[in-house]
Amino acid sequence: MANFMQNSVVSYACTCGLVNPITKLFFCRHCLKLRCGFCVCHEVDSHFCSNCLENIPSSEAKHKKNCCTNCFNCPCCQHTLSARATMVVVPKKTDDSPKEGEGDGVKAVTKKMYYLSCLGCRWTSRDVGIPDQNVATGAWPENECSYQTRFNALLEYYQAVVLQDKQEKQEYLRRKTPKAHKFPSLTDRTGLTVSMIRRQIGWPDKNTQKAKPVNITPSVATDELEDLPADVFTQPINLRNVSNIQQRHGQPSDQPFTVNKLYPQRRILWIKRSLRCRQCEHNVIKPEYHPTSVKYRIQLFANYHVPDVLLVRSEEVLHAGKSGSIILKLTNPTMHDMSIKIKELPTLSEELEMIEEFKLACKIKENTATSAAAESLKSITSSPSLTSTTLSRQTSLIEDPRIVQQKANVKLNNSELNFVLNQRDDSTEFDEDVQTPREEPEFIIWRKSNKVSIRLPFTTDESLKVGDLVKVGFTMEYTYVNTVTNTPTSHTLSARVFIDAGQILGE
Amino acid sequence: MSHAEHNEIKIMAKAIVCEDCSLIGDITISPGCVIHPSATIIAEAGPIVLGENCIVEEYSTIAFRLPTDNKIDPAVEVRTLNIGANNVFEVGSRVEACHIGEKNVFESKCYVGPCVFVSSGCIIGAGVRLVSEQKLPENTVIYGRNCLQREAIDKHGSQTLQIDFLRKVLPNYHHLRKPNYDPKKMRIAT
Repeated sequence: MANFMQNSVVSYACTCGLVNPITKLFFCRHCLKLRCGFCVCHEVDSHFCSNCLENIPSSEAKHKKNCCTNCFNCPCCQHTLSARATMVVVPKKTDDSPKEGEGDGVKAVTKKMYYLSCLGCRWTSRDVGIPDQNVATGAWPENECSYQTRFNALLEYYQAVVLQDKQEKQEYLRRKTPKAHKFPSLTDRTGLTVSMIRRQIGWPDKNTQKAKPVNITPSVATDELEDLPADVFTQPINLRNVSNIQQRHGQPSDQPFTVNKLYPQRRILWIKRSLRCRQCEHNVIKPEYHPTSVKYRIQLFANYHVPDVLLVRSEEVLHAGKSGSIILKLTNPTMHDMSIKIKELPTLSEELEMIEEFKLACKIKENTATSAAAESLKSITSSPSLTSTTLSRQTSLIEDPRIVQQKANVKLNNSELNFVLNQRDDSTEFDEDVQTPREEPEFIIWRKSNKVSIRLPFTTDESLKVGDLVKVGFTMEYTYVNTVTNTPTSHTLSARVFIDAGQILGE
Repeated sequence: MSHAEHNEIKIMAKAIVCEDCSLIGDITISPGCVIHPSATIIAEAGPIVLGENCIVEEYSTIAFRLPTDNKIDPAVEVRTLNIGANNVFEVGSRVEACHIGEKNVFESKCYVGPCVFVSSGCIIGAGVRLVSEQKLPENTVIYGRNCLQREAIDKHGSQTLQIDFLRKVLPNYHHLRKPNYDPKKMRIAT
């Protein structure tokens, strides 16, 4: 986890050929393959506000334009605004004592009033003349830009156009499909509905009235522009009154030019998303539904399943064409012993072969999936109008595998390193008995519970120049015990690992 | 250096000055000020006069440094750093400004260099570093990592509640330095 926030020197090649640090990779337990962000389907689970942590259903979120109703961002520095309370003296007229003198009829009453204030840049809602409110939340005025009505009209029009387009397409499809049989077969008793009969005799569907877009007045371009005021060249500009790019983008509807038109912006909702393997459609990541919870229901991060490789140090000063070695620390995160084999990366032809194999597997999978989907569609509906609507889930596009861009520029001295990585056992820390030293191969420097340190000797390429980065690459074969199936089965999996060992130094 | 050697600290009545703070040089603390423990005030280049109702919080430093580039002999030409009323120096701030007006807030961990002229009603945000020579106009707010500036239109709230609270609480837990200077008495005496 040392490399969670910064660039990592150790990276793994995903099945698709992209290189990522282990913290950005997932492991599908059903395909037994590494998956990166491009190899998983991203699905929105829930919307919530990151400030008030309120969960908002997706339909409501859409209606509210993905903004929280209660929370605001500072238009000046994009920080969260907080409501501050002030006591204001308000004159109050009392009607029940008309007999008394007029001077006593007006009584001063203190009242709590709220305004919004930013703790970062001290912006307040009073700066732009928003009156103080009686209640802290919910009553803040909506700032509407001048062409809101025009915008709404356009929106309405284009929605109608889309609808009309869709209906015409459906109509066309319906006319094009050959009528299989004029009369419904007697065996097909349940299939006969009113709408079907209407369609068979060629009447339009009763409930679909033709949507006709209301006419809009098109915008007209004009070449008559107001001249710039004369003082624009003579008066010094006060940059404090001009809004900056960030502020204008924060208020996209009107993009104010001056600071005095900045209004509090509704806070944009955040999402919780679940990730799904594109090949087997099993969930890889599924968060808990509640916004306050940071836990997962399914979390198949790669560093729970794949041995973690850490670069401890580079042993020697690196020169081109000379031998060097690095010390690596490997950690077994699983509850089963792993036997690990470190060997050279696959050659180009081997890699191409792997890609072909992968593509073939995908194709078989896809064919079966589409035919199954078609089958299920046929069984669900016999009416052709429904087939165009998407009944099935979003069809998963599988990321095209590619050759790994990252190239290693060293050659390993040993063709193979074999060793066993012990299982993770949290209780070993508290064990009294010291491990008896056992016969170890010489490349193993140190071993403790599920961790092992090894020395990896290599020879750098001749062609490297001074200052070039030395990339050590190897294939790491490891045994993985799959516990998804009823009987745990052991598999030999491999991962391609790339390590930045440092720069070539001059003589 | 002559000022730093002999400390001449004048604390007026009603000022709360904790004993653990370090005051070096010729410093006058006006009535109503609150100096927290571990605060530092260094009057190296000349006397410092702290205006009324200022709050100097923990680990904050106010320094009136000798300019490094042009050597002015403090014995010949004595300048005084007059700090206006109602300023707040928050925790860990470091202020070496050449002029400080009224009602300024120096937020936590900010640094104001010796060439900065701070007028009145300014807010120097948390962590902001002002190094170059500049003059801050009134009601300037400087905030954020990039030291963005804006002008406060609305006046920021006064610190009276906070200062009243400190005046009540601090004497309960800290040893205070006694007021040793009364301007009225001095006038009578002379």
